[in-house]
Amino acid sequence: MSLRVMTSADVVERILNKQPLFIVDVRNADEYADWKIEGETIESINLPYFELLDGVEPYLDRIPNDRELLVVCAKEGASIMIAEELAKHGYEPAYLQGGMKAWSTHLYETLVYQDDRIKVYQFVRVGKGCLSYMVISGQEAMVVDPLRFVDAYLKLAEKEGVRITHIVDSHLHADHVSGGLELAQRTGATYYLMKSEGAVYDFEPLENHERIRFADAEVQVLAVKTPGHTPGSVSFFVNDKLLFSGDTIFVSGLGRPDLGEKVEEWAEDLYRTISEKVADIADDVLVLPAHYADLEKEMNEDGVIGETLGKIRSENRIMQNIPKEEFLQHVIKSAESVKPPNYKEIVAINKGLLSKTDEEITELEIGPNRCAVHHTA
Amino acid sequence: MQADKVLDATGLSCPMPVVRSKKAMDELDSGRVLEIHATDKGSVKDIPAWAKSAGHVLLKQAEEDGTFKFWVQKG
Repeated sequence: MSLRVMTSADVVERILNKQPLFIVDVRNADEYADWKIEGETIESINLPYFELLDGVEPYLDRIPNDRELLVVCAKEGASIMIAEELAKHGYEPAYLQGGMKAWSTHLYETLVYQDDRIKVYQFVRVGKGCLSYMVISGQEAMVVDPLRFVDAYLKLAEKEGVRITHIVDSHLHADHVSGGLELAQRTGATYYLMKSEGAVYDFEPLENHERIRFADAEVQVLAVKTPGHTPGSVSFFVNDKLLFSGDTIFVSGLGRPDLGEKVEEWAEDLYRTISEKVADIADDVLVLPAHYADLEKEMNEDGVIGETLGKIRSENRIMQNIPKEEFLQHVIKSAESVKPPNYKEIVAINKGLLSKTDEEITELEIGPNRCAVHHTA
Repeated sequence: MQADKVLDATGLSCPMPVVRSKKAMDELDSGRVLEIHATDKGSVKDIPAWAKSAGHVLLKQAEEDGTFKFWVQKG
């Protein structure tokens, strides 16, 4: 009997199309509690595979037979074993190809903005909540916060018939390894990052560029220094319409200022960024962040993870000119939560101080991004 | 540490180290100790979690040259 296989792309399709899917996650309880597949129409239970070795019968009343069924584990092996058992009991289960490891690295892209001068694609790493972008104009493209799966950008550039000429990182990431350097080496594009973030390889320091122009000046990128999440955090304001906000502003919160052992100092920076710099940006600007925490809440009706600055301000109390003390207290307190998995090693890799294989990086990146302080937290 | 039985599960990937461990344990009497060797990284978390859920006692856990070793006493 052959089992059905679902890929990460198939799961994304179910989530985006709001199709019901029941997931039996057979990893151990800690891994499930830490991080799992989520979506409005996704329901899941955790039944560790090693508790099912004497048979699945005692658990069948917890597994519905009225919708599509998917068995998920860390890599794939255990999910095949359990799916085979379930198939003996009248179910038609699929298993997730490559398991949660594949889920963590899966990317999809979607067109999120278009006018007569530019076209913007959002790349969604759905398993980790990471977002990156390609801004296309004429024959050129700029990539914002590229992930290390650089083939995705090369493929889209080829399809669009454009050349990647500019790459920007909004900051030195702590939850995932950047693809900026590799993409720059493969394309010859200029790679921009703030020098103050501490990277030791060759790049173009953003300190020297208040503006980046490309595609015959059709695209004007204002590099707005927005310290807080990190001292060298930058937001990219494109054509006065789009704000690529990195980890400074999210749809449902702000970037946490505590990943550098200087939480009070960085929180003060964040306060100044929000109350001085961001306050000057118009309400109708579309904010496109580098992360989301809750796909259901942060994705709008058009399938875009982004929101106008006005709406974000109106729904996020800490952005409404509250007293400084209250802001600091809130931000510092909510930053006491669990930090991104392996963030110190990931920061060291992104600085160029530590080298790891793709396999090792995949292991380090497993889990949620945890880069935000939420207004509800 | 003295073991009553040694299981070599090196080279096997998930779920086999745990599946083999369970089989080996089924053949032991209560109080006996099974020593398990595995190379699959998932076994670092899964073997202790399995032992706990099955009512066994994890006496010791170690790593030597990329091999994960576990000593589990049957409950």
